[in-house]
Amino acid sequence: MKKFSGMMVSLVMVFALILSACGSKNENAGASPDAGSGAPSSPASGKKLKIAVVPKLIGIPYFNASETGAKKAGADLGVDVIYTGPTQGDAAQQVKVIEDLISQKVDVIAVAPNDPASLTPVLKRAKEQGIKIMDWDTPADPSVVELSVQQIDNEVFGRTITDKLVEKMGTDTGEVALLTGGLSAANLNTWIDWAQKQAAEKYPGLKFVSDKIATDEKQQVAYQKTLDLLKAYPNLKGIMAYSTVAPIGAAQAVQEKGLQGKVAVVGTALPTDSKPYLADGSLSSALLWDPGALGYLTVALAKDLAEGKLPTDGQEVPNVGKITVKSDNKTVVMGPPTEFTKENADQYPF
Amino acid sequence: MLKLSKEAMLGLVLIALFLLMSIIAPGFLDSYNLSNMMFQLPELGILALGMMVVILTAGIDLSITYTASFSGVIAALCMSHHYPIAVAIGIGIAVALLCGLLNGFFIAIIGVSPILVTLGSMVLFEGVILTITKGNAISGFPDAFGQIGNMSIGPIPLPVIVFLVLAVITATLLNRTIWGRSVYKVGINPVAARFSGLHVKRVLLGVYLFSAFMASIAAIIMISRYNSAKVDLGSSYLLLTVSAAVLGGTEISGGYGKVKGTVYAVAIFQVLSNGLNLLGIPRTVVDILMGVILIAVLTLNYVSAKMSARKSLKVSAG
Repeated sequence: MKKFSGMMVSLVMVFALILSACGSKNENAGASPDAGSGAPSSPASGKKLKIAVVPKLIGIPYFNASETGAKKAGADLGVDVIYTGPTQGDAAQQVKVIEDLISQKVDVIAVAPNDPASLTPVLKRAKEQGIKIMDWDTPADPSVVELSVQQIDNEVFGRTITDKLVEKMGTDTGEVALLTGGLSAANLNTWIDWAQKQAAEKYPGLKFVSDKIATDEKQQVAYQKTLDLLKAYPNLKGIMAYSTVAPIGAAQAVQEKGLQGKVAVVGTALPTDSKPYLADGSLSSALLWDPGALGYLTVALAKDLAEGKLPTDGQEVPNVGKITVKSDNKTVVMGPPTEFTKENADQYPF
Repeated sequence: MLKLSKEAMLGLVLIALFLLMSIIAPGFLDSYNLSNMMFQLPELGILALGMMVVILTAGIDLSITYTASFSGVIAALCMSHHYPIAVAIGIGIAVALLCGLLNGFFIAIIGVSPILVTLGSMVLFEGVILTITKGNAISGFPDAFGQIGNMSIGPIPLPVIVFLVLAVITATLLNRTIWGRSVYKVGINPVAARFSGLHVKRVLLGVYLFSAFMASIAAIIMISRYNSAKVDLGSSYLLLTVSAAVLGGTEISGGYGKVKGTVYAVAIFQVLSNGLNLLGIPRTVVDILMGVILIAVLTLNYVSAKMSARKSLKVSAG
């Protein structure tokens, strides 16, 4: 039994060693002299700002890309960025992550909520501890955040997609079709409404051959429906596809039928998925935003917020561009969508 | 020679970890952080107690977190339709007990293996909740309800008090009632238990009802604390409840396990995860460390059990 206790103790010791190694490495990486947790200095007086960015989930390409951007902003602007989030999309786990961040006495918490309502109590508690609260990627409860960073303006995005389709078709008259991920997806519907409005106002010659067609967020379904469309409407000139997989399915069908250059496909796809279809022209254009820039912008604005500066409309943020501030003075829109083409699709890691 | 039980050993490990974290993790002993940990611990703790009792019978309840979320969603729906809080909680518990009854019926009466039944009911409950909520969160409860999960009596949060009371009740049930002693006997050998005149079916049914009841209490604390109920609320706890029970010394093959051990194990998880987060260690690494520790402790338990078995053999041979 003595042997057993000895083993147990040595286990704890080894563990302690690992921990202290991790801990000290972490401090070095931050390159900040540890001011000591008991130091009564206010965060503004020379101590590095601690900015916590909490994604919906860690370990998926989209949020890995925004992590890279957020970390880069931290290095550029001289602030400590803690990028941590739940390993499962469980709201309970996200709440715990934020509770632990409050204990770490960070200066700002920027969160992309899985379930906005479930974060309201913990964000209120954070606020009581003097932490500035903002959201990014997905809005949280507007009554608790001081700043809301959004990737895109829905109206601009919808209208741009129509413009881009007309540009790629090379004409503003003809038959077009519209594919969507699901009929009840709120963000997709908003974009589609603006896209159709843009078509009605600016391009009266565009004729939608049918209502929006649901593809169940599945590439295979989008592919099948596009084949049907191409058969039923031989004069079809353009397809706009919403959700990240619908454009790929549509492009796959166009590619199979060899209709590159005859039928333009424009959609909201991720660059790594789109690359092969962009290369041979079966996908004319993929429009989305750059999550890396979104992470960068979040950290940049968080630093300003901690220093008492609020963003202004038209402000130029380095590495991001011009931002727009909405009339409520706390909703920030990153800017116009990013277009992925065969030339630049390689540069994006998501 | 000083002989320590598994549970006492765990208690020592807990104290050692707590001291270690106090030294190396900045802000660990802050009153805010201590209360933070006390608020985080009960959800997993209560679920783990439910899971432990099931494991004592050599069973497992994979549907425990979805039972919790089912009962939470129904209670939340009741509240959003302006039912009184007590009624909503009552209905929530009743829903969970129905879930437990379903599991218990198939396991105890029909005799299907627990892992299959609860795997099925896990998917079933998830589907039903998704149908009811369409994946949306249900929120907007009366303020008084929010107090349950967020209130403190003195420095001690109410959920911790609920957890400790439930732990004492569980220990009393297991050690001082006929049902409780039967749970252990069924776990050791169900056939022998039946031949010695125990109502094995009734015992098993009770076990699944018990875990469902614990799930509903955890659910009420969760939805009160998070002000919202959703299909996957608490789903990340599922494997942690099994880990906590097993780390706490409960035999996965049934027949042995103590409430004390499970409580220590839950506290160890809590101190570890909080301390590592304070140290700024990435969440993915935290998961890895938790896995390593679990395997290490279980291996140690196994080796030490082997050693003492050999020793007692030697003694009897000599």
